[in-house]
This record gives sequence, structure tokens and C-alpha cells, in this order.
Amino acid sequence: MNFEGFDGWLKVKDAENNLMTEKPMSVSEFIEQCNFTLETEYDNVFVEGEVAAFKINQGKWVFFDLKEDDSSLNCFMPLGQLSIALTDGMKVRIRATPKVTRWGRFLLTVRQIMPVGEGNIKKSFELLKKKLAAEGIFNPAKKRPLPDNLTRIGVISSTNAAGYIDFLKILDNRWAGLDIKTINTQVQGMAAAEQMIRALAYFNQRTDVEVIAVLRGGGSADDLAAFNDEHLARAIATSRIPVITGIGHEIDESLADLAADVRASTPSNAAERLSRDRQDVSRHLHLQISNLRRELRSRVDVALSENRQRLQDTKQEILQHLERNMHHLAETQKILASLNPENVLRRGYAIVTSSSPGRPIAPGVEIVITTSTQNLTAEVKNVQERH
Amino acid sequence: MSKNVTNNSKTIEQKIADLDASVEWFYGDDFNLDEALPKYQAAADLAVTIEKDLTELKNKVEVLEDFTKS
Repeated sequence: MNFEGFDGWLKVKDAENNLMTEKPMSVSEFIEQCNFTLETEYDNVFVEGEVAAFKINQGKWVFFDLKEDDSSLNCFMPLGQLSIALTDGMKVRIRATPKVTRWGRFLLTVRQIMPVGEGNIKKSFELLKKKLAAEGIFNPAKKRPLPDNLTRIGVISSTNAAGYIDFLKILDNRWAGLDIKTINTQVQGMAAAEQMIRALAYFNQRTDVEVIAVLRGGGSADDLAAFNDEHLARAIATSRIPVITGIGHEIDESLADLAADVRASTPSNAAERLSRDRQDVSRHLHLQISNLRRELRSRVDVALSENRQRLQDTKQEILQHLERNMHHLAETQKILASLNPENVLRRGYAIVTSSSPGRPIAPGVEIVITTSTQNLTAEVKNVQERH
Repeated sequence: MSKNVTNNSKTIEQKIADLDASVEWFYGDDFNLDEALPKYQAAADLAVTIEKDLTELKNKVEVLEDFTKS
């Protein structure tokens, strides 16, 4: 006997009997029960499919179907939560909560959405890039330079990521005394963008970092898709604190890169842009001191030379002064010599003096006649007035 | 003492700024020979200290938050 079939027949019979005895739910109660079950059992479902019938209603609500072959799911989300550019035919991955509407329509309320596959990611990237560029989000005039000689760096990255470890290693090799404050976030996957946005807000509420570095090492287009999130790009562009990105490799360009004040090609390059090289600084210090020594020596030489010149000038002045005085003395001596009475006597003149000073000269008075060679004593014979 | 602050409570950057200011004095109008020699000696000593700091000091890394858990 087939007992499985028998069990099934019994259940149907039980149900038929219960239909008459069980208290039925109202339609709204049943929908409520369904939604309660969906919310508790399937709070977060991840579904991948192709977008179809994408539309925005009243500028606020996004509707689209998620399709795969003949299967289709209705999807809904507020426009404000849409952080990528959507078009029909694009393959996306969503995180959603299933729900039954009052009209019995089953739909997924989308919490997060991201494009899947390189082509779709690129397509979404190009559409968003165009949109954000038109809004001036990437305006080069708004870019701020990194602060000079910064010491306090905020980092948003996964602390387990190779890119983050490289970043710290390069900083350690290049410079010392930096204060690095990190917020650990996912850097790929559906939750990554939202976590990085929160981290940006966290740093912007504080005053202890001078720059924010958003870092992630290389990866596939899917791995790096979080950095093409519209909300993340906007958060970077409006950050009060300057932002540098070091995402992927040189060739990877994301919306986050375009929105940042400075784009480094890799996390290692970001470390180089944020730090001075201790070898360079050491060389500069040596050069500075060596130049200083040269400058000091030159200044001393100049001062010595000036002093030497001053001494020379002073000596010259003294000699000139001396010469002038000597000349003056010689002239004076000449004058004095010309006034010497002996010289007058030598010319044949004589000096006559009274032997009795104070007595008037009169006949009989004795006088002394001094010549250049003799003193003669004579007597006045006659006195005759000349006038 | 924080790892990034040296024993006289100045960061490397502040010390480098001090050194730059000292060097500028030598090229400025305030220069005079009487003060030059002690100032040169101070600058040379500061350069040695900075170089020592660059060798001995480490960067400080702190994980403030883990947003992957919330």
C-alpha cells in the first residue's frame, strides 16, 4: 500500500473539514500575516537579474522588473536610495525585502542595488559620471590641495586589505610621527558604499584629522563597484575635510576618484602623496646646514674685510692728519725762524738796550749794543728827536 | 608621551619649521655676527635632533571604529 498517497488524501480531507470549522482571516489580516512571515523569514534576500520596465514615478519612486528568462519580479525603491544609474537590460544584484501589497501584488522593496558584470558596471558608471559632472560634482575648481606637512590622517578602508597594509608600510618607510586613525569598512560588496559614507560622516564630525584617505587595493570591476556609488561620490565631494582616494590600480577610475580632491593611483601612491620622504628631508637638512655654514663664513669674511678696510681708512686718515700737522709745524718753524732776532743781527743789525732800564735815554747814559758777534758798551753823546 | 611627539613636546614638523625660521634669520635683515655663532650652533643641533627623530619615531595607527560589524 502507498502510505504517502494515503497521508496526502487524509490531509485534504482534514482541510475540507476545517474549512467549515476554522475561523477565517480577513483579506487584510491574511496580507498582514504574509508580510509578517516575509519580513521575519526573508528580511534580506539577495537576487540577481536583468532590469526591465525601469521607470521613475512622481520623481520619487523607482519601479522596475527583475527578469530572468520567463521569470519576473516587481521591484520598488525610493529614488533617494538609488545610488547607481539604471537602464533596461542592465544586470543587477539587489538586497531587498519581499512584500505583498494591499492589492495582493508581490514585490521586492529594494534596499541596495549594484550593477553586475563589467559591461553593466561601465555603462552605469558612464551614465552617472555624465549626470554628476553636469551637476559640478567633479568640478576641478572645487578641488582642494592636500594640507602641507600634515600629521593626522583619517583612513577609510578594510583593515585586512592588502592595499591598507601597503599604505601603512609605505608611510612607515617614508615618514615618522604620523597619527593615523582608521575606520574599518567593507570595500566591496553591497554594504561597502553605505559603510564608507558613514565613515566619511564620522570623520567630518570630528576635528582630529586633516585629510581623509579612502583606500582599496586592486580588484575586478565587480570588486570595485562600490566606489561608483552615487551617494558615496556625493559624500566625498561635499566632505569638509579634503579627501584623497587610492583605489585599485592606475587604470581604474571610479566616481569616488573623480569626486575626490586628490586622486592617487593606488593605496601606495596615496601614502606617497600624503607623506614626505625622510631621505629627502635628511638630505635637505644636510644641505641647509652646509649652506648655513657657507653663509656664515661668507658673512664673517665680509665683516672681516669691511673691518680691514675701515682700519686701513682710519690709518690713512691718521697719516694724512699727521702729514698736515707736520707741514703746518714746518711752516710755523719757518715763520719763527724768520722772526728770530739773531737772524736779524746776522744780517748786520744791532740791538741797543739801556744799561739802566727805566731811565730816559739822555747824553751820558750808558747803553749796550748787541751785534751778531759782540756786545758793546757805549755812552750816549747826543739825543736828537726824529720828529 | 605620544609616539609622534618628541621629548620636548614638538612634532617633527614643528621642529623643521623652527629650523627653517632659524635659517631665514641668517639671510634676513636682523642678522648680526654677535648672535650668529650661537644661532648657527642651535640650528645645527636642531638638525641633528630632527634626523634622530626621523630614525627613532614611529607612526601611530589607531582603529577608531569597525563599521563592518554594525
